[in-house]
Amino acid sequence: MSTPASATTATGAGTGGRPERPRRRRRGPSSRVHPLLYAFTLPALIIYVIFFVIPTLQAVQYSATDWDGFSADYENVGIGNFDRLLTGDTLFLNALTNNLKFMVVVVVFQTILALILAIFLVRNTRGSTLLRGLFFFPTILSSVSVAYIFKFIYDPNFGLGNRVLEAVGLDALTSSYLGNDEAAIYWVAITQVWFHAGQMMVIFIAGLQAVPRELYEAAEIDGAGRWKQFTAITWPMLAPATAIVVAYTTIQSFKAFDLILGLGGNPPKTSLDILSTRIYSTFANSEFGYAATQSIIFMLFIAAIVVVQRRMLKLTQKEA
Amino acid sequence: MSEKFNLSRRGALHVFGGGGLLAAVAACAGPGSGGGGDEPPDTGGGDGEIGGEISFAHWRAEDQEVLAEIIESFSAENDGATVRQDISPSNDYQSSALQQIRSGNIGDLFVAFRGAQFVDMVSAGLYADLSGTDVVGKYNPSLIEAGAQDGTQYGLPYQLVFNQPVSNLDVLEEAGISEPPPDWDGWLSMCEDILSIDKIPMAWPGGEIGNAGHLFNCMMMNNAPSDDMCAKIESGEYKCTDDWFLHTLDQYVELRPYFQNNATGTAVEPAQQMFSSGDAALLLTGSFHIAAVRALGAEFPVGMMAPITVSADEAKYVGIHNATFVLGVNSASDNQATAMALLEYLSETEHASTYANGTAQHLTVAEVNYENEDLAATADWLDKDTMLAPRFQFNDLDIRNAAEQSCIDVVGGTSPEQAAERAQQIIDERVNA
Repeated sequence: MSTPASATTATGAGTGGRPERPRRRRRGPSSRVHPLLYAFTLPALIIYVIFFVIPTLQAVQYSATDWDGFSADYENVGIGNFDRLLTGDTLFLNALTNNLKFMVVVVVFQTILALILAIFLVRNTRGSTLLRGLFFFPTILSSVSVAYIFKFIYDPNFGLGNRVLEAVGLDALTSSYLGNDEAAIYWVAITQVWFHAGQMMVIFIAGLQAVPRELYEAAEIDGAGRWKQFTAITWPMLAPATAIVVAYTTIQSFKAFDLILGLGGNPPKTSLDILSTRIYSTFANSEFGYAATQSIIFMLFIAAIVVVQRRMLKLTQKEA
Repeated sequence: MSEKFNLSRRGALHVFGGGGLLAAVAACAGPGSGGGGDEPPDTGGGDGEIGGEISFAHWRAEDQEVLAEIIESFSAENDGATVRQDISPSNDYQSSALQQIRSGNIGDLFVAFRGAQFVDMVSAGLYADLSGTDVVGKYNPSLIEAGAQDGTQYGLPYQLVFNQPVSNLDVLEEAGISEPPPDWDGWLSMCEDILSIDKIPMAWPGGEIGNAGHLFNCMMMNNAPSDDMCAKIESGEYKCTDDWFLHTLDQYVELRPYFQNNATGTAVEPAQQMFSSGDAALLLTGSFHIAAVRALGAEFPVGMMAPITVSADEAKYVGIHNATFVLGVNSASDNQATAMALLEYLSETEHASTYANGTAQHLTVAEVNYENEDLAATADWLDKDTMLAPRFQFNDLDIRNAAEQSCIDVVGGTSPEQAAERAQQIIDERVNA
């Protein structure tokens, strides 16, 4: 068995014992790839360039203009749109605030609920399979259908929510739901959690089933209880799955566009406006240049949040 | 293949990098360079042959069957001509129709909302010029001004709607009300009378800003210092913090007890349901919802009335009307002749009457025979002093929403001053942007 020391000796043999940096291996003919093989990537690259790279670059260009979306001419406004957005746009700030509230609720509750469901349904029994299907079912519904189901539940006069509360004598808890400006965004967040928790549960189940049984057996022998096993084995081993769930849920919560429009109408009230609906409203208001600016900030914001989340997640799982 | 044609990874990256750079340069073509925006408007003559398929883009899903019936007879009379209805919900149509029609996918014949959308569509060069064509002569001239701009008749507003409360005459009779209240005190007194018979005075869709805004028209019509009040709010000349606007918000506060419970969370369909079931005396949207409440089973006689927010002698208007559903022929259509033929067909008295009676809508077409009972019962409104709906003076949708949201906010419990300041802050930002 070779050790690092023996490896150093071997590489330094011809230089009087002085450690030598490992030589970069020359690429021989075998490292060359036949040009035809690169051609196989072209369809994907072309689609990527046409549908992602070019629109993104165009958005950057439009963001420096006051283009209305249909006129042939426009003015270059430099960083004027960014200045307006960052210093004097109450509607954008309101949408950002709503979106952050929505994101926090959805990420926390959807992740926890999905993890709990996954832990209970990880075994491949018939009952678990049936329940997994039931919990996953909302995911295959269209968001417009989900919005209409919950519109019925949340209607303050005829809706299921208040009817059930009244039927069990909890009249005091009845609400106007989406009509309550303070709480409206949280009711939509609950809908989003119901909609996607099953999808995230499947990712956690895959992660849990990949954890080697031997680790739990060893922990049991060492006298670790259920909670200790969870914090010392399950949670750290679920790091990749959790990272995917949290990142995906975050992105989803920034793009809950159709759910908001389905529940709150178009345009939604300010209490339900999130970044994606704000950008859409700006486009609809014939401000393409400004909407492009909002889209760029939106993209950077999601990227920043996902990076921060991944770092935080790594830290918590290292500590565990 | 010989080795000299092999490509290293680095070489491949250079090739892809070069391609990406070219794509980047291509992406920097000027916005709007797709054309269309500054092209001179086509004339809507449509000299080609009638035939082939055209698209009719509109937002009236509830009119689909009646239009299909008219289209069927159009196709029968014009062999080979077929029409596809491309229908979007009204709010989506407001948001995205311009881009969709401009892309050429839909809308050989299309419609626009009066106001911002019509103005934008004219600016985008979508409307063919109808000035001087025979079809214009089939309309009541005073009702199609909303389809003209700078002396050119681009579109023909087809529907004449009344954006004011629809009433259940049976409930009003039960409450002892035979005439619309002539002033504000009378309105509040009427609401009290309706409450006293355990009915909801007003079903208001406060959960949807678009439909909630119809009441805004009525509340503003006599309170504002001038008829172009919304245009002046948008220009910054008037403010939501002005006394007249605050007074209007105070009146919204007075209306709070007379809306259904949790009014700010109510969508339009439940509000229609309350009205059609006879639980509510008034539906605070407009005549365009009469057909919908009939479809929900309402069998009582309907009327219309609007809140007069001032004393009887100060009232300038007794209601609100709007000339909308502005029909137009797409200037870029490959089949303008067929689109124009359909426009003419819809504008003929016989087919306009079919549409009017089938959809319970008054029309701007001259000499329409209103046989529908609801239309006949409300036809007297055609001769009353009604104001052209002011909310469509707003060309900036964010400003319109801010002003209308302030009314919803006060019904939800916010003080008029706070709601007005919040709205004005948004308006100021946009006026100064």
